[in-house]
Amino acid sequence: MSATHALTVLLEDRLITFTRAVGLLRRRNLPVRSIAVGPTATPGVSRLTIMMHSDEATAGRAVQHLQKLIGVREAAAFPARDGVARELALVKVRASAERYGELLDVVQLYHAAIIDDAPDATIVELTGSEAFVLSGLRALERFDVVEVARTGTVALAPSTN
Amino acid sequence: MTTSNELTGAQILCRALLEQGVDVLFGYPGGAIMPFYHALPEFPGLRHVLVRHEQAAAHAADGYARASGRPGVCVATSGPGATNLVTGLATAHMDNTPVVAITGQVPRAMMGRDAFQETDIIGITQPITKHSVLVEDVADLADAVREAFAVATEGRPGPVLVDIPKDVQTAKGRWAEGGREGSGAGGGEPVPAPAELLDEAVRLLGTAHRPLIMAGHGVILADAYEELRALAERTGIPVITTLLGISGFPESHPLHLGMPGMHGEVHVNRAIQQADLILGVGLRFDDRVTGNLAGFARGAKVVHIDLDPSEIGKNVPTAVGLVGDAREVLRALLQRVPARDCEGWRAEIAGLVRPRTDSFRAGLGPEAILDAIQAASQGRCTIVSDVGQHQMWVAKLFRYQRPNTHITSGGLGTMGFAVPAAMGVTLARPDEPVWAISGDGGFQMNMQEMATMVQENIPVKMAVFNNGYLGMVRQWQQFFHGRRYSATPIWSPDYVKLAEAYGIPGRRIDSAEGLEDAVRAAVERPGPALLEFMIEQEANVFPMIPPGATLSDAIEDEPAPVRLVPA
Repeated sequence: MSATHALTVLLEDRLITFTRAVGLLRRRNLPVRSIAVGPTATPGVSRLTIMMHSDEATAGRAVQHLQKLIGVREAAAFPARDGVARELALVKVRASAERYGELLDVVQLYHAAIIDDAPDATIVELTGSEAFVLSGLRALERFDVVEVARTGTVALAPSTN
Repeated sequence: MTTSNELTGAQILCRALLEQGVDVLFGYPGGAIMPFYHALPEFPGLRHVLVRHEQAAAHAADGYARASGRPGVCVATSGPGATNLVTGLATAHMDNTPVVAITGQVPRAMMGRDAFQETDIIGITQPITKHSVLVEDVADLADAVREAFAVATEGRPGPVLVDIPKDVQTAKGRWAEGGREGSGAGGGEPVPAPAELLDEAVRLLGTAHRPLIMAGHGVILADAYEELRALAERTGIPVITTLLGISGFPESHPLHLGMPGMHGEVHVNRAIQQADLILGVGLRFDDRVTGNLAGFARGAKVVHIDLDPSEIGKNVPTAVGLVGDAREVLRALLQRVPARDCEGWRAEIAGLVRPRTDSFRAGLGPEAILDAIQAASQGRCTIVSDVGQHQMWVAKLFRYQRPNTHITSGGLGTMGFAVPAAMGVTLARPDEPVWAISGDGGFQMNMQEMATMVQENIPVKMAVFNNGYLGMVRQWQQFFHGRRYSATPIWSPDYVKLAEAYGIPGRRIDSAEGLEDAVRAAVERPGPALLEFMIEQEANVFPMIPPGATLSDAIEDEPAPVRLVPA
């Protein structure tokens, strides 16, 4: 059965290793929805998080392929609903003076934050699950959305004990 | 340490190659690899074979590796030299051959600036190598070479590219004796297959009514001939060998069935379709083997042995996946599996065997030619085939008895492979005749290597099956494209004169008369030789499973149905 799976990959933080991992996703024709990469607590090691919509076997095989790459330390997959998955969006919106209060209401409703408030535009920071962020974006589209920057989803499997 | 202990990167590279046991390199010099070529004469243990095109260097290294079981090495300069290796590396990648490619690169300060003969060969070869590395510091060079050889050979083998900027080759560094652990490729040491999975496989092998063994390249790579044979004999289960599994099981053996798939024999494919158990040993269940997957062996449970866990269940649903080296897993099964006989099932398969009906002009058919080749060396020879109709004939009609004596480009299907690959095979097996069998199309793709054979004294015996067509494509046009022979008639030069121009004795044979004498003369005369066989122009390879059809739907004979290929 198809579901959103999170693939988490620990890999050496070199561009060549990253391109190898991402190239593999393309070459194997995998249904990738988002890719996020950033440092980990271990120096020299990055975490790559790939969200893909597939059945479990496809996600499992993607992990096996990733594990074969030199420079990949660990790779694992889990259904996104079993773990914790979050993304962050920065949304630059323009709201007229008359509607600024309405914008503040949306910000409050989505536990968002205003992180830059220039005279001509406001930048809102929105964090949550992909569905939550998409919902927040839709709410902000009532105003004049100038630009959106999304990080892609990062995810962690729940600890099992 | 004094400065006299310092070596150039190029000298370190040569030492590292010697340390890895390399004795022959196939290559072509050029600007960015010149420091390496400058150092090379100081290392007489490294024999360099100057090819006439870098593609041939990669195929020759591939052939050397397949025949010797040790990594083959090819060398090229940056830019066009490196890009010319690409087809050869892709060929080695698809067929899991350990090849190490050394490429020169423009100096570090020039990289990324579109310098003369600069190309991102790491980027280009990423999908077709097992690994690749750019050496950015002379201090890392020896370990990079060690890692390349380790990665190429460990686990599921494959090609590795080492890209070395020119200024790293000239930089001074210290040589430190090697000693490094495994590459970590493939997720570390293989874990033995769990006992419960082995037990389940044994239970299936002991209880199936219509079991088959399908043996692939993994049998040859793992040197698992004895184990495969012992398992077959213990259980009486017939053995099918895929294109790359051919010569993994002796063809004279009563349990040997033949090749499956698109051009497999009817009884082999029927047996697959009727089987209730398939034990796959080191094969990928490639589409040329399975036909339409939806109709493949629908009644069979599959037990799949493969070194690479990502192969298990990739193409066919698998009841039991046994991850490991084919030899180790077969040994573990042998310790457990009860003796049995599948006599009734074998008799059933024997009833499916079709008599061969091929007929060829003037009696000069592939069967007669291959019989003559077999007779001329009493079967002690290695056959390297190219790609196309002759490849299927060579696969099906030669009676391979000795392990690993059939070498071909299976996965990538690279025309032009045979002639250069046979040079590598010949250097790995100097004591027996090595035949490069090509069609007139594939031969013309790399026939420039005749010059290499002469200059380097590499006695390849070349056979050209000349039918004046790109025969396999013509066959598809005949069957599926309304006989529109678009761009398949192919003119050939006078190969006999061409060979003679290179100083190689050549002979044209257009009937079965004198065939054996001509072949024997080619084998007995030292040095390379060329035989051109004028075979029937529009002969077809039968049977044939049309693309997209199942193994039950073979076209068995002329006249073939004329129909247009579906979109």
